[in-house]
Amino acid sequence: MEKIKDIIKLIHSLVPENRRIRIMNVCGSHEHTIAFSGMRSLMPNNLEIIPGPGCPVCVCPESDIINAINLSRKDDVILVTYGDMLRVPTQKGSIRAEGKNFRMITSPFEAMNIAKSNPDKKTVFFSIGFETTTAPTAAILEMGIPENLFILSSHRLTPTIMEILVKDAEIGIDGFIAPGHVSAIVGSNAWNVFSEKYGIPTVVAGFEAENLLFGIMEILQQLKNGNVQTGNVYKGVVRPEGNVQAQKIMAKFFEAADVNWRGIGHIPGSGLELRAKYADKDARKVFRLEEIKEAKIPGCICGTIILGKAYPSACKLFKKACTPKTPKGPCMVSMEGACNIWYKA
Amino acid sequence: MKKIEIGHGSGGRLTRELIERLFLKYLRSEELKPLEDAAYINLRDQNIAITTDSYVVRPLFFPGGNIGKLAICGTVNDLLVSGAMPGYLAIGFILEEGFPLDSLEDILKSIKETAQYAGVSIVTGDTKVVEKYKCDGVYINTTGVGEVIKPLPVSNVSPGDAVIITGTVGDHGMAVALSRDEFDIKAAVESDCAALNELLMPIMEIDGLKWMRDPTRGGVATALADLSESTGFGIEIFEDKVPVREDVRFISDMLGYDPLYLANEGKAILIASRESADRIVAILKKHPLGHNAEVIGNISAKFRKVKLRTKIGGERLLDMLEEDMLPRIC
Repeated sequence: MEKIKDIIKLIHSLVPENRRIRIMNVCGSHEHTIAFSGMRSLMPNNLEIIPGPGCPVCVCPESDIINAINLSRKDDVILVTYGDMLRVPTQKGSIRAEGKNFRMITSPFEAMNIAKSNPDKKTVFFSIGFETTTAPTAAILEMGIPENLFILSSHRLTPTIMEILVKDAEIGIDGFIAPGHVSAIVGSNAWNVFSEKYGIPTVVAGFEAENLLFGIMEILQQLKNGNVQTGNVYKGVVRPEGNVQAQKIMAKFFEAADVNWRGIGHIPGSGLELRAKYADKDARKVFRLEEIKEAKIPGCICGTIILGKAYPSACKLFKKACTPKTPKGPCMVSMEGACNIWYKA
Repeated sequence: MKKIEIGHGSGGRLTRELIERLFLKYLRSEELKPLEDAAYINLRDQNIAITTDSYVVRPLFFPGGNIGKLAICGTVNDLLVSGAMPGYLAIGFILEEGFPLDSLEDILKSIKETAQYAGVSIVTGDTKVVEKYKCDGVYINTTGVGEVIKPLPVSNVSPGDAVIITGTVGDHGMAVALSRDEFDIKAAVESDCAALNELLMPIMEIDGLKWMRDPTRGGVATALADLSESTGFGIEIFEDKVPVREDVRFISDMLGYDPLYLANEGKAILIASRESADRIVAILKKHPLGHNAEVIGNISAKFRKVKLRTKIGGERLLDMLEEDMLPRIC
């Protein structure tokens, strides 16, 4: 506790009085710790900690979810995906409400088992998420998946979206707290671009409040002394090079693709699709899925929140029409969504 | 057309609104008005506390208890926290056509054991059966009366008082949530469902004891938010003082629950004068149900609402439960 008090004191002393500093986190678990520890109440008034695109469920395009609903309605298909995905609202409803044959899984290995025990059906794994969930999907592909298992890849790349945000002057990011789990895969070196090209301190942090405070402190120190570089206060878990083996198999099966982000739009090279070599495993190709135009959710500002341009409390629907039980926008659905976290904290 | 929503049964904000806007519109009385766990009435100069509660928990059997045990403990505890010695219970059953008699017998065995432990007699009852699918197995209502030992109106509460919790929070909510098999998690969390006579009777005599509440639906946070609203005082709670089982905390983190909002069925929040607080905690700690009792905060006139002082010294507002993530918890 004394140590924490000292860090907070130091943070106060490092923030210059005459300017506003905005530090973004890009991880739902970081935002959870920040909100539930009341961390913002301890920060200087001119230091903002903004939740960024830390929720893969929130950015998953509506088109993919509607395609998943439609697949689950086919008699010979079992759609499997992570729990939160079942509840995400679309213009056609959610998978849970409108889908037919679907199952919740907690790991890609369950998708393998479901496919194996239902040989007369086609199992489609709607695989979403950032690098943390891409790695295990690549792992089952490397192991060899059953013939009747197909991948609907809606994976997204964290460094790419962060670079988009950095270039957006309206957000004005002064520093990044880099996501702990993603960094374990991609390595802290993956963030070097931010210090080298944009002069923005980026520090990898873990999930305890104290560790996050350390991360914030380091960002502020770098800003003050001008010695900007990638930092890492989560060294026990994150190595500079990351998990090389995981990176290898991810690169073997997936390649970067131009994709949509829900509420944000088209971002070149920011997603992952299966390489052409594995087209027979790619649900998009096997089932000839088509792009469906995204419908705006009236009143919902999830896209703006994900980009760090507004806090959840700025949304007119927040805590009124939109609650975790009756989510109108994707950020209220997932436990990693900023709206869901702010609702509970 | 406005309709009843599941949240109207949460024990939180929506329940309060429903009661204030609709029920009190037609049923207002001096005795009902305080909206406490039990009402004080006077029968031939005898001070009596009376309370009623319905039980719709799903599943009917959960680790640490079942709907029968719950129906006795809940009503007995409502009398106890109102400063009354539980005496007699009336019990009503709504049974679904097709419900196995063996299961009903198991429930009744629990009812018998729990009533004996709590020293209450079940003196009248009622049974109704509805068609299959018109209810979910069994619903139970219990009404209890007891002799008032020490009236504990909310007006007793004053700034400077200490907030005490008699043990770990969130056990019941977590046990029932996990027993629903909606999550693929195996853990040995048991409901804390218990009648609190032995724990609470010894402290009734202590002068500094001012008010009690059993934090069931909506948990400790909602009970305190309710207290803050009815007294107009602020309440400060220290996160590092609140006892939470290690496994309950871990799974809560994983599922995104806050133990402070999870239901308890064998705990009480006590408000007591600062001077008496340590003595009360020492007495509570002597009983197995009170081993983890702690002073967790205090009442203040300097602010309103309930503030949680987090482990790192941050501040977070604890509001009434807006929406129940776990309906039918009791």
